[in-house]
Amino acid sequence: MIPWLVWILPLIGAMLTPFVAKMGAKVRDYVAVAFSFLAAVFAASLIPTALAGEVVHSQVEWIPTLHITAGVLADPLSILMANVVAWISFLIMVYSIGYMKGEANLTRYWFFMNFFIANMLLIVLSDNFLQLFFGWEGVGLASYALIGFWHTDEKERWVGKLGHQAWKLPQTYSPSHAGMKALVTTRVGDIAFLIGILMLFAFAGTFDYGKLAADTSWARELAALGLLAPVAILIFGGAIGKSAQFPLHVWLPDAMAGPTAVSALIHAATMVKAGVFLVARVAPIFVVAAGSIGLIMPFFETVAWVGAFTAFLAATQAMVSKEVKKVLAYSTVSQIGFMMLALGVAGLSGDFAAGYTAGFFHLTSHAIFKAALFMGAGTLLHATKTKYMDEMGGLRGEMKITFVAMVIAAASLSGIPPLSGFWSKDSILGAVLPVSSPLFIIAVVTSLITVFYSFRMIGLIFFGAKSQHLERLQEGGHHVHEAPAVMWVPYSILAAATVGMGFAGLFLEGLLRDTLGGYVEHFYHVPTLHAHEVISIPAVMSSLVVIGIGGFLGYYFYISRRGDPARIIESNIVLKNLYKFLENRWYINALYYKIFVDGILYSSIGLFKRLEKGFIDRSSDAAASGSIFAAAAGNKFDVHVVDAVVNGSAGAGQKFSSLLRKIQTGIAEQYAFAFAVGIGLLIIVMFLL
Amino acid sequence: MILLAQAVFLPIALSPVAYLLGKRFGARSAWFSFVILLYGTILTLLAASISPDYIESYDWSPLGTFGLRADGLSIPFAATIYILATALTAYSIPYMTHRINEEVSNLPENERKSAFNAKIGLYFAFYLLYTAGMYGTVLATNLIQFYIFFELMLIPSYFLIAEFGYGDRDRTSYLYFLWTHIGALVLLAGLLTIAFFSGSFDYAGVSDASIPALVRGWVAAAITIGLFVKLAAFGLHIWLPHAHAEAPAPISALLSPAMIGIGGYALIRFMVFLLPSVYENITFVIAIWGLVTMIYGGSMALAQDDIKRVLAYSSISQMGYLIFGISTASYVGISGSVLHYVSHGLAKAILFMTAGAIMLQTGGIRNISKLGGLASKLPYTATAALIGFLVIIGIPPMIGFQSEWMIFSGAITGSFHQGSSLHLAIAILALVATPLTAGYALLTMKRVFFGKLPDHLSSVREASPIITGPLLFLASLSVILGIYPSIVNDRIVPLLWMVLGV
Repeated sequence: MIPWLVWILPLIGAMLTPFVAKMGAKVRDYVAVAFSFLAAVFAASLIPTALAGEVVHSQVEWIPTLHITAGVLADPLSILMANVVAWISFLIMVYSIGYMKGEANLTRYWFFMNFFIANMLLIVLSDNFLQLFFGWEGVGLASYALIGFWHTDEKERWVGKLGHQAWKLPQTYSPSHAGMKALVTTRVGDIAFLIGILMLFAFAGTFDYGKLAADTSWARELAALGLLAPVAILIFGGAIGKSAQFPLHVWLPDAMAGPTAVSALIHAATMVKAGVFLVARVAPIFVVAAGSIGLIMPFFETVAWVGAFTAFLAATQAMVSKEVKKVLAYSTVSQIGFMMLALGVAGLSGDFAAGYTAGFFHLTSHAIFKAALFMGAGTLLHATKTKYMDEMGGLRGEMKITFVAMVIAAASLSGIPPLSGFWSKDSILGAVLPVSSPLFIIAVVTSLITVFYSFRMIGLIFFGAKSQHLERLQEGGHHVHEAPAVMWVPYSILAAATVGMGFAGLFLEGLLRDTLGGYVEHFYHVPTLHAHEVISIPAVMSSLVVIGIGGFLGYYFYISRRGDPARIIESNIVLKNLYKFLENRWYINALYYKIFVDGILYSSIGLFKRLEKGFIDRSSDAAASGSIFAAAAGNKFDVHVVDAVVNGSAGAGQKFSSLLRKIQTGIAEQYAFAFAVGIGLLIIVMFLL
Repeated sequence: MILLAQAVFLPIALSPVAYLLGKRFGARSAWFSFVILLYGTILTLLAASISPDYIESYDWSPLGTFGLRADGLSIPFAATIYILATALTAYSIPYMTHRINEEVSNLPENERKSAFNAKIGLYFAFYLLYTAGMYGTVLATNLIQFYIFFELMLIPSYFLIAEFGYGDRDRTSYLYFLWTHIGALVLLAGLLTIAFFSGSFDYAGVSDASIPALVRGWVAAAITIGLFVKLAAFGLHIWLPHAHAEAPAPISALLSPAMIGIGGYALIRFMVFLLPSVYENITFVIAIWGLVTMIYGGSMALAQDDIKRVLAYSSISQMGYLIFGISTASYVGISGSVLHYVSHGLAKAILFMTAGAIMLQTGGIRNISKLGGLASKLPYTATAALIGFLVIIGIPPMIGFQSEWMIFSGAITGSFHQGSSLHLAIAILALVATPLTAGYALLTMKRVFFGKLPDHLSSVREASPIITGPLLFLASLSVILGIYPSIVNDRIVPLLWMVLGV
């Protein structure tokens, strides 16, 4: 019963929102937050079950004629995930009370926030693919509505620097555009996902995870056709879309057009984590179904390489972003790449649990520090009335709490010991190293970039001198100040959790490994190594080296501000072009717009003008006018036909209009009515015959 | 018990009364039609609840039996038709009042009222006939009976467009009449050939085997092409954008969702049920045809500026999905098509009603480029429109997702059963084309409802509850059926399982 409540309660909260709103804005806000709190409490009550390695599974009939059931599956993976989701979501909901204060249309906001959380929890707790897909698309719908929350599209809500173009295509997007972009782009991945699960269904006749893992004859049939790994990769396509991995990563940076609390929810607790969860959910099923790991190897290789490449791609773009939220967005894409990398190498090594645990561990630690960073960024946006980091600067005095919280979270993102990010990233590097050196090198280089952009972000915002923008604000009487407690408490809690998890890092990793490793071994009979090194020395060494190098560069340019990065870039033609390349997002976004937006629109309009209007419509008109003249025949026949051919279709419409009007005018009503009644009578007569 | 016969014949018999009442009482008389249709809806649901295969039959010699059959296949269609028609009667009251007032405004003051009353009476009289025509078509059990009702739905709808339409309505209605009538005649040729060889007009008496192999191909071609005109399949679709765009909104909202999909019903009834051996031979052709229709309609929808034309082309595209589902030769896929009729019916009714509501509230603007930012002015209409669009994109928890996954599941499973990688490729291609729907739907949503509100729309207000009420009713129905599709599936799936066994 409890697993049902975990996702149904926020859904009820969402449904109640419009009604509770009638009782006043305060009541509405608190009721909405209360429902997300209840979900978190019920999720927490399941933790003992998870630690004991037990499972709660409950099913009801759904579409009996197709033998499809609905159900919840609370196993260690879903319980741990549900807790990450529910608790962080709850803190973001609390933060929203302060952040969204004074905004209009908050009923819609609260409705979709709870709807978002409910659907994410539905994804996590589903026991079959079809039901998961409901949550999957529900999350997409909620993101569409919330990214486009300010749908009136005022210029200050747009994302990107106004006027920025790549290949003459605008790189700034309105909120309603960004929402649409998110839904359509993720939809592409979802189609792949749907093809995958429908192929599974074609052979297995079920969407149920338990049944798929228990009777694996479907996998043998698919494997015989050479389709087992492709099906798994198609399912991974859904994760690529939702988790914003290459090549479908383009929507996430523009999703920053939404309110910052929404960004926090999308990046930390919901949506992008859904893809990682999906991979974690299906990977053991495919391993057990394949029988031999070789059959399913291409799937894990794809996951690992897509993850590694995305991690690098997004990190490079984070280095040059001017908007604080965009740095965080690219950083999310990059960090999710790390998680995918970890899950990918899980299947490539002999020790499944190592990569698997590392991926989940990083998911958890990232959820916590990224939520803190986003909420901190939201506070900055409110306080400084700008989203550009170069319009901030020197804020460490005025906003001490935010400063401390964000520094802790950013340090964790950089992987600085002993914070949680250090342990989780280290466990990923440790899992990758024995599997593949190229992947390990990509991961290390990306870590270096991560340290650099984290330092850059903190430096630009909190260090150096105040920007002219802030000076002007102060002259105008606006004093930058700390946020109210309802806002800073949630992210301070998360910053504290980052520290706490850091000190308990090794213990937590061991606990996770026991729980999740035991889980995949017990339920899916995936072999795991029990004896393993907790710390991989080469991985730790590389971590520390990149922190040293990245940290030094970041410190030198952006914190102590000894070097002027702008001048260095300007003076070097290679760097200048590289900078432009990164700023234009490797031109991938522009390329997609050229092909999939402009290209499709252009060909649709062309087809409409040439084929639909130019040919089909004209032939239809010609045939119609021909038929009228044939009917009106008589001695004028030849004259009119010649006329029609000469005048072509343009005149034809008018011609039969006037002809028909002759029949109709005046007596039209009586005539028509008599006609219709006649038909009715005819039927009745035939009926009586 | 006489349930279905009442539901078919009451609207026909009472349509003169509707006219007379309209003449005397004006727009208020619409409630008379509303009650008749509501009664018919209740009778239909009652018949469905009595038995999964409810039949009323009457002797109709020498033509055979005049039967009305509510089985798993016809019930989803019949119920959708009546529910939509009932909801749209209420919607018609404010809409048609406005529309006819526009029409009579150029008459002298003293003639206006009587002209108005006569026209609104006429509207509802035709409306009842039209509904009964559609309804009778899907319940028929006899080829001739089917054809009579098939024409009965054409003629009143022709007059509804010719009398109450917009733009060059003479041309539009003429094209509509001409093409769909030609389609109907081609169909009739096919039906009569079947009857000739089977020696019976009754469906029950039709035997596949008695038709010589040489003729079967021609029969299949005649029936398919005849019905594809009604379904507006690619190449035979040309009447549709005109008719849907220029008909008054409530009629567009019946034409598109309720009427054209009946072609799908008939395709299933005639090809899958009555002529299974022929059906197997045409699945490949109609799969391709469906795919092309799907993509072509969607791509045309992207190129439109008139909101009703976007919806019209979207209907063509959606009929592509329906045809594609029928081509799967799998019980899941064809059940998906039936569910898709219900789903498209609800969605497109919502969307055409929304388009009508926008025209009503903005003084007749239907160019998307002149609209924008209406979400804050028309919150309920915008919500309903979003739900309508989400249904046609196929996003859960809307019913559109249920029908789409079943169609594609049927296609993929079917291709594996046939061991045909070509079929699989077509199925995957069809799925890959679905983001096109998301593209035009969300783009239209954005251009109409989001963004900056233009100055000329600043005084727009939400439509009256009699408009938004039916809208929200249909919107919630599409969510309920999306979460729990078994209401429909429980009827259609077992029947098709029995017929196809695949």
